[in-house]
Amino acid sequence: MTLLLRYLTVTLVAVAGMLICARAAQAPQHIDIKQLQVTTKVENVVVPVPDEIFAALNKLGPVNWKEYVRSSRGSNFRERPRIALLLGSIIADGFIAVQAQDAPAVKEIGQRVLTLSNGLSVRTSITPHAKAIIEAADKKKWQNVRQELDRTQNSVQSAMNELHDEKLSQLVSLGGWLRGTEVLTSVVTKNFSSGGAELLHQSDLLEYFEGKLRDLQTMPEFNMQLLQEIQGALVEVKPLIKVGSQKISAESVKRINEITTRLDYAIVTKD
Amino acid sequence: MNAFVKLLVRRGLFITLVLALVTIARASVDDAQSFALQAAEPYVKEGFQVREDYWGGDLGSGEKKAVRQQLFKGNEYWFWMGTEVERAKISVHIYDSEGKLAEQPDGWEKGHFAAAHIVPKSTGSYFIIVAVEESPEERTHWALVYGFR
Repeated sequence: MTLLLRYLTVTLVAVAGMLICARAAQAPQHIDIKQLQVTTKVENVVVPVPDEIFAALNKLGPVNWKEYVRSSRGSNFRERPRIALLLGSIIADGFIAVQAQDAPAVKEIGQRVLTLSNGLSVRTSITPHAKAIIEAADKKKWQNVRQELDRTQNSVQSAMNELHDEKLSQLVSLGGWLRGTEVLTSVVTKNFSSGGAELLHQSDLLEYFEGKLRDLQTMPEFNMQLLQEIQGALVEVKPLIKVGSQKISAESVKRINEITTRLDYAIVTKD
Repeated sequence: MNAFVKLLVRRGLFITLVLALVTIARASVDDAQSFALQAAEPYVKEGFQVREDYWGGDLGSGEKKAVRQQLFKGNEYWFWMGTEVERAKISVHIYDSEGKLAEQPDGWEKGHFAAAHIVPKSTGSYFIIVAVEESPEERTHWALVYGFR
């Protein structure tokens, strides 16, 4: 009897212990975000590749991606910030060409990426990816092209960070984000839906880029009209997308499209 | 001359030591990333595209870190965390910008691997909270990767 009691007590204690442990491992249902930002270091956002936005757009309905494949691969620039912005924009074009399953365009983009990376002194890191993009496009292995485009952007940025060119690396992300936003707003403007407009709820990302551009202003190498123009445009876009839980209107989407189209034209074209 | 050679040797040893420490620190975050990618592997077969970018660092037992991330409604995301410290217990959870737990119930924690799954109800910023719950090491390297489809 005593033995049975002892056995039952031990079992009860063990079960209670397990329950307590399981509860302790559960995540709280709610946390205080303001407190979190004070007590915990919050890491910066990873800038999404345009493909993430395009994937979400595809789920809203069919998109004629061929319409968005651009034939211009941009001018040849000497200024490294301009090359970095253009490279980001061209990589975004690569994702658009993949959506359109346009192999010749993808191959051209692979070549162009290689030329531009030369201008940023990171050609060695990019050569294998550019080759892989061209090969995968030849075989129409679109998933591989997507992976290699992401790797290209990542390798460019890692190589630039190693060369202490972090600022230029951020411009590659910015170029890609602007081109992605131009296409997103163009698609949504053509066939407006609140679901499509919702994809523009990216105010933290916009503030992230705004902050980076503000930092660049103090550096002579980045004191150029185009960067000032982009910063001014981001200030203009901010109230259109920072609307809290409200819906983004068709007029706002159209306006953002006008702004990003103007900026992207300036990125690919010589003054 | 002798003193000069000694100074050079001493400085050389110091630089080598610093470089070795930097390499070890880097290698460990890279190892943690390999484990995070290992956790992601089965999901690639299910159509998830794993991003090349990742976050990483080191944390003490009981410490956590937050990562802010832009997510898009319509997509589905998995976040995978890994560490090279096999006896460590780690966790990853996802909250929306209001601080509400936003993840699906099928997230998991298996020793030095953890994962969280989200189908965002709205497009916007989310907070990914990573933590080292227990570890035999003073500092535990971690890495977080994510994928979408």
